[in-house]
Amino acid sequence: MMTLIPARLRWPALYALAGLLFAAAWLVRGGRLWWVSIMALILTAIHVIRLYRLGGTDTDEGARAGSRPDERQQMISLRSRALACNLAAVTSFIGLSAAIAVNAIWFWPFLVTLLITGYGYLFGLGSYGVAEEGTPDDADTGRQTRPPVRP
Amino acid sequence: MRNRVREQRTQRGLSQAELAAALGVSRQTVISIESGRYLPSLPLAFTIARFFDLTVDKMFDPDDEEAGP
Repeated sequence: MMTLIPARLRWPALYALAGLLFAAAWLVRGGRLWWVSIMALILTAIHVIRLYRLGGTDTDEGARAGSRPDERQQMISLRSRALACNLAAVTSFIGLSAAIAVNAIWFWPFLVTLLITGYGYLFGLGSYGVAEEGTPDDADTGRQTRPPVRP
Repeated sequence: MRNRVREQRTQRGLSQAELAAALGVSRQTVISIESGRYLPSLPLAFTIARFFDLTVDKMFDPDDEEAGP
């Protein structure tokens, strides 16, 4: 579906969708704070316009915002996301430990985040080829294959 | 790893933006490669070498640890 949307509009469209969902959540919640949904819509619109304009600039951030990153910019983005995920995992672990220490009931969001980051990492290892060990190309020659580590 | 991207580019009278457009990468990436801050992938290294009619080992010298020209 994302490929149907022009590259420069992809990130703004994603942020617009997220903002709409957030605003809808406040509206559905109702009560005295319904106006937060209006604020959310205004801030979303400002951010979407800023993101669209950024996508037209000749910068690393512009390339990412405009969905036209080259290999270096993709690598930077990938590393940043990996760092964010590491921080999320560490923060979740600290939060979980603190919640257990004070016998709090709010331990589960930390546990869920920790499980998601942990299993996400394992899923990534499986998906991106760690399991592709294959057969050594000298397996049928009868030669002894030397292990990489001495026993 | 030292490379000859800047030298070859200036010899041909190209700007960084023109080289970037020819290679299909951003101007910032050309700057990073020239300064030695970014080592290109193997496909991009071949693209650069072919663009300048050189071999990869002529374009990128792994024996020289000095970063940048």
